[in-house]
Amino acid sequence: MRALIAAATGLALALALVLLIGALGPSSGRTSPKPLLTTVPPHP
Amino acid sequence: MRRKASLVLLACAVFCAALSPLLRWYTFPRVARIPANEYQDMVLEAKDATLLDYGTMRARKVSKVTIVQTLKGDVEAAKKIERTAGRPVVVWDSLSYVQGPDGKMVSKVPERYIFDAHSQDPVHATGESVDGDPVRREGIEFKWPFLTQKRDYEYFDAQTRTTSPIHYRGTRDFRGLTVYYFEQTIPWTKVAMPKTMPVQGITPETVARTGTTRWYTTVRRFWVEPVTGAPVYGEELHKEELRGGTLLGGRAKVTAFAGHVKMREDYIDHTVALVKHNRTLVLTLTSYVPWGSLGLGLLLLALSLYLEARARRPRDTAAGPTEEPEPVSA
Repeated sequence: MRALIAAATGLALALALVLLIGALGPSSGRTSPKPLLTTVPPHP
Repeated sequence: MRRKASLVLLACAVFCAALSPLLRWYTFPRVARIPANEYQDMVLEAKDATLLDYGTMRARKVSKVTIVQTLKGDVEAAKKIERTAGRPVVVWDSLSYVQGPDGKMVSKVPERYIFDAHSQDPVHATGESVDGDPVRREGIEFKWPFLTQKRDYEYFDAQTRTTSPIHYRGTRDFRGLTVYYFEQTIPWTKVAMPKTMPVQGITPETVARTGTTRWYTTVRRFWVEPVTGAPVYGEELHKEELRGGTLLGGRAKVTAFAGHVKMREDYIDHTVALVKHNRTLVLTLTSYVPWGSLGLGLLLLALSLYLEARARRPRDTAAGPTEEPEPVSA
């Protein structure tokens, strides 16, 4: 019974971690203020 | 004490083993996304190209034609579309600006491309366009999905506004990266005049009145890094002609542009370095952490079982030698 509780705890922690990472996700940020180019840039 | 330690190890083992598939199939699709605020520029060149001189309406050889391509993510538009689409969306505004050897504009074609931030599937929303014309894209454009497969993909061609297959032609090595090579041929097709013409006073409408039409063909080649789905190199064998009408002075056709368009060398180096970095990030989620976590989980499980087995073993050696019972006398 104690082994079952330990396994369930591990599983719950793993689920909580991935749910947290998924919920946070990557931030979308802001639209770049740089313009669409109409001149040839000298370098990348 | 040993039994407690084995239970803790068991919990850790299950945690690690469960984390492995969860990271790969739950977290990866939610975290690996094209950033909505992406900004990228790219310079392509066609050396010894043929270009139409609009003054004489004759094709001439030029030393170089340069194409500056910019992609800019519109975060606000993406958030707005996400609310109705119900999935992460990226809105790219792009501009292909073509410049002749004298630095003057040859053409400029703006586009708005809307797609799923992870799967690269097109998302249809108001504003999706090419050169101001509303379009409905099918397939991919500019980039392949993460974990690109060895198969043909549907690729959108902005000039013809149509989608057709881009064929997988094999695996190659490109500057130390394993890449998939794709090729698409667009046969001669009648296409629209660009909205912005290189000569002031000439518009697509005035050209249309002369009866002259624009035709285009291209062979498009991409070298795609499969983990990120990012092209590390691309080139096009691009030809455009004006055909018929009074504008050509009785000639059947004249070449408007012909050239072998290739990425500029410094941009190739920059792209390869960027893709190598991003490849490591994607592999961390799809391979390094899931496999590492699974291995660690199995190791911890074995250790837990070993401690448990030792805890259950009878303590015969610890008790010491037993004394012989003395005979009892009555």
